[in-house]
Amino acid sequence: MSQENHNLYEGMYIISARLSDEARGKALAKITDAIVGHGGKIEKIHEMGRRRLAYEIESHREGYYYVIYFTVGASAIKEMWHEYHLSEDLIRFITLTTDEVKKKLEFKTLVEQK
Amino acid sequence: MNMNRTSQSRGGFRNKKRKRCPFSIAGIREIDYKDTDTLLKFVTEKGKILPRRITGVSAWHQRHLARAIKRARHMALLPFVAKH
Repeated sequence: MSQENHNLYEGMYIISARLSDEARGKALAKITDAIVGHGGKIEKIHEMGRRRLAYEIESHREGYYYVIYFTVGASAIKEMWHEYHLSEDLIRFITLTTDEVKKKLEFKTLVEQK
Repeated sequence: MNMNRTSQSRGGFRNKKRKRCPFSIAGIREIDYKDTDTLLKFVTEKGKILPRRITGVSAWHQRHLARAIKRARHMALLPFVAKH
């Protein structure tokens, strides 16, 4: 595992808004522990906060959004994918490869044209 | 002599000035699925992706935009179908 190339990933996770603050912290810890447990390293965690979902997911209307930047070996992603699907507190997630760790979640705005 | 053709409309349709790609003008090379405010400008009220013939987005950016919108839909940041 240690010889494997580690890539930088960006993961977005929606955790159920029905959980208490403590339980939500545990759910997030479970995600980060899984990354560290697979020999990965957490680079940055952004909390996007409580948001309304654009559509209902398993009768959830709201969720807590987190964006985590981490490095881990490629084979761990597949294993973590299976683990995440077993978790009921985690409503939805996405894992993408990325080039850089965003320090802030800010975006360039478009220029208005006539 | 040529009455129908004005100086700025070289081959343009009904003398309309061609729109330039809003992403190219702003110098954006990366369209992020988390940036819902920007993405919302390129979907209809129903949540469908607008064709680039209407928005003027360049082909390169339209591909990346479509990918970003689809990712945002998966993460429930944008709707697949808006209500009503």
